[in-house]
Formats: sequence, C-alpha cells, structure tokens
Amino acid sequence: MPPKNAAAANSARRNGPQFKPPRPVNAPTQASATAQRAPATKKTTASGARPAFQRATEIVSSEDEQEEDAEDEDIDDDDLMEIDAPTRDTRTAQPASSMSNPIPAALLARLLYENFEDSNTQIQKGAMNLVGKYMEIFVREAFARAKNEREMGLRAGGISDGFLQVEDLEKLAPQLVLDF
Amino acid sequence: MASTDAAAEKEERLKSALWYSIGQFVDEECLNDDLNATPQFIGALTELVYTQIANTARDLEVFSKHGGRKVINTDDVMLLTRRNDALETMLKQELDRMKSAEGRADGQAVAGAHGKKRGRPAGTGKGKAKA
Repeated sequence: MPPKNAAAANSARRNGPQFKPPRPVNAPTQASATAQRAPATKKTTASGARPAFQRATEIVSSEDEQEEDAEDEDIDDDDLMEIDAPTRDTRTAQPASSMSNPIPAALLARLLYENFEDSNTQIQKGAMNLVGKYMEIFVREAFARAKNEREMGLRAGGISDGFLQVEDLEKLAPQLVLDF
Repeated sequence: MASTDAAAEKEERLKSALWYSIGQFVDEECLNDDLNATPQFIGALTELVYTQIANTARDLEVFSKHGGRKVINTDDVMLLTRRNDALETMLKQELDRMKSAEGRADGQAVAGAHGKKRGRPAGTGKGKAKA
C-alpha cells in the first residue's frame, strides 16, 4: 500500500503541478524496512512480553548518548511518517520492541541454571530480573561500542561498507569484559 | 561418553537459541542506525554473551555460597557490578524501580524487609516442618 501511494504521488508530480505536501525522500525504502521488520517486532514483543523492563535511558558512556540521539531522530522520522497514514501502526509499534530485552528471560534463566556447578543452587525472582537487566546492558553496550569502533575506523580513513565486522568486536571485547 | 555428547548437544542448542535472540536484537538495532552486521559478527557476539552468562552464573553461585546462602539474591547480583560505578548506579535504579513496583503490588510489605523475606523460602519450609 505505501509504495503504491508514493508511486502515485511521483507520477502526479510528473504530470503537472498539483499541490502535495512535502514528504520525506526515503519514505518508500523506510516503509519496506518496516514491512520487513513487522514480523520480527511482533515476535520479540510476544516472547519477551515483560513490561517490567524499562528502556536503558540513563546510560554511562558517550556512545550510548549517540545511540539515544539516533533513536530520537527515529522518533522525528515517525512524526514525518505520520503524513502517510498507512505505515503508522507498524512505526508506533517499533519503539516498544526496541525496549524489550535482547535475551528472553526464560532463555537467560535456563542458561544460568545450566551453568551452575551445583544443581541445588537457586535464584530469587528479583535477582533473576536484575541479571536480565545486567545482560541487557552488556549486549547493548557491546553493540554500541562496536558501532563506535566502526565509526572510528571510518574516520581513520578506512573503507567501510556499513557492515559491523568481527574485528570490531575483537578490538572492544577485552575492555568490555573488564568493565563488566 | 554418551552423557558428554548429550551435554555438548544441549549446549549447542542453547547457543543456537541465544544466537537467534541476539541476531534479532542486532538486526533491529542495525535497521535503526542504517548499519549492517555480518553473520560472523553476530556469531562472535553470541559467543561473547554466552561466555559472559556462564561466568556470571558461576560468580553468583560462589557469591551466595560465600554469604552462607543457598539462594542467590539481589545483593549477589549487585556484587557483580563492584568494579563499575556507573553500572552499579544503573542496576541500583533498576532494583529500586522493581522494589517500588512490588511495594505497590502488595502494599503492606515494607521495601526493606522485602528482600530478606524473599530470600528464605527454603528456610521457612524447614521451620514449618518443625512446628
């Protein structure tokens, strides 16, 4: 539906001057991106249905501020996108899923229990939730640092195809593990 | 021999599940940032996170044993963050938020007494059996 809309707008513009409100240039590509994303978001929100988890807003380092900025820009995009109404639903659903935990709570609990040396060891529910938060911060931090590493590489004059590489992770892993 | 095979297979399955979750997360974040991640990156990140979880599990177990407990509580988790003040602040906030949410759920419980109370399910079970 949205691509068709955009195409119609383009052809109209070609035919003659007709009033159309300004729209973001990258709208069609974004729309297709959300279309791809839609099933994934549904899945993560369904499996990780844990409203108790807040988004990690107050974060430590500058990389995370960048991440936040990026998300703010995303929200701005949202506002623009609302001009073309049809995509609105999936767009508004998206920030909620980025709030959810990268590791589902059940999986994390299983992994912890598998790794206890003493099978009688137990863990409180509150402690479990806190470990979930801890691992969420760990994963987000790893991703943010990898992104930062990529940007630094780009600034140093390297060629980049916009792909996060294993080398980025290799560079950041030692410090990351020391920090956690 | 068969048991080690089974254990190895179980570990592989758990890693696959983790791989899937991490992959979902990375893909989503990448879309937000107009980036891409190689499958190798996701694999390596999975391995890193898996190792971190394994270490965390062992740490928590040892912490609670050292405290003379059989059940891991939130204090043990907070001890994980002892070398990173910023991380400690964040987890503290999360802990306070969780406690206040719980306090709202069952209003009569005092937040301070709460942690202790929940740490004792095994102990109180014995107490009841005696009485």
